Amino acid sequence: MMNCAQYRRAVLADPRDANPELRLHRDGCRECLEYMERLLRFEGRLQRALRVSIPAAGAASVVPLRTSGLRRASPSRRGWLAMAASVLILVAAAGSLWLAQPHSSLAADVVAHMAGEPQAWARTDIPVPTPDLAQALADARVQLDPKVGMVSYARSCLFRTHHVPHLVVQTEMGPVTVMVLAHESVPKPERFDEQGYHGVILPVAGHGSLAVLARGQGPDPDMLKQIAARVQDALVWTGS
Amino acid sequence: MNDQVGGNLKRERFHALCQSLRPDLLRFAFWLSRDLALAEDVVQEAMLRAWKAQDSLLDAAAAKPWLLTIIRREFARTFERKRLVTVDIDELVAREEPTLAAAQGDDLAELRAALFKLPEEYREPLVLQVLMGYSTAEIAAELNLSNAAVLTRLFRGRNQLRALCGEDTRMDPEE
Repeated sequence: MMNCAQYRRAVLADPRDANPELRLHRDGCRECLEYMERLLRFEGRLQRALRVSIPAAGAASVVPLRTSGLRRASPSRRGWLAMAASVLILVAAAGSLWLAQPHSSLAADVVAHMAGEPQAWARTDIPVPTPDLAQALADARVQLDPKVGMVSYARSCLFRTHHVPHLVVQTEMGPVTVMVLAHESVPKPERFDEQGYHGVILPVAGHGSLAVLARGQGPDPDMLKQIAARVQDALVWTGS
Repeated sequence: MNDQVGGNLKRERFHALCQSLRPDLLRFAFWLSRDLALAEDVVQEAMLRAWKAQDSLLDAAAAKPWLLTIIRREFARTFERKRLVTVDIDELVAREEPTLAAAQGDDLAELRAALFKLPEEYREPLVLQVLMGYSTAEIAAELNLSNAAVLTRLFRGRNQLRALCGEDTRMDPEE
């Protein structure tokens, strides 16, 4: 059985360590529970302290400028028939690319964003500190009813030039990511399955949309839809 | 023609990826160097290197650690070139005051100044864990240390930081 010194050494090295032995000790030791609560408050401050405001990227691209545009065939040198053929080839090529790629769309951008925060997907029983959750939600002028479940991750992320809440809710089927996209409207629910992530983007009347996604062996599509509806129901909009 | 359309798409996707990762990578670089201008230069240079080497990135989900490793190497190169002199922490804090300043009502400036004072061997693993969300094993792999060494550094780092911030450490364990 772990003693208090061992417990405190472990949580000072990693306050989010989900080792069941730590939980067992914490549940049976009031002093260590208080110690942990204080440490988590400090941890919340530390997390906010590290997230300094940084200057936005300049107008210059981070990658080399695109090469010159597609060359136009001269009608005088090529007949109308050749030109029509070129147009057909271009349409076919663009079509095949469109089908082969995640649609250049909101879903693709949401999935690309996931690549940046793999740590968010950890299964854990430690909720994110309440001030951190409130701060992450503030940008979208929204609150979250606790009935949605335990939120283990909350950040305000830069997405398509806006700061949006990025949350992870621990559900009975594993962690599910929620992005509150108040600036992105979609006409109807859009399901996607890209790069190991599956999810749905739901329209939210008057408040953009909501992306809810899981990865790998997460909830099946029907279950995810139910979770998405639960999340949508738990959102309380505080501003227009 | 297909190649060109594909190339532009590839470029746009890489650009979008970099844009989404840039804020945290720049923060990481800032805490590593304690110099925002240097951090911006290094991140920009690292992204150009990443663009040239993007074929070696097989899994998009690994983009963040991949870019972070490139940034750390870029720093190592910079430090080799510059042969940086001993730094005065108070001067560094004063120079970076606009970045370290907290929003009104948020008591973070003191904590940020304390982070500047933390030795690099403790600061870096702490930033990797708290800001970048790295696990102990991932930090160990990135810094080429054992898991036990990483845990020791994290323990000492947090201890020192809490003491610098005047936190109540009476209930802290001995090392």
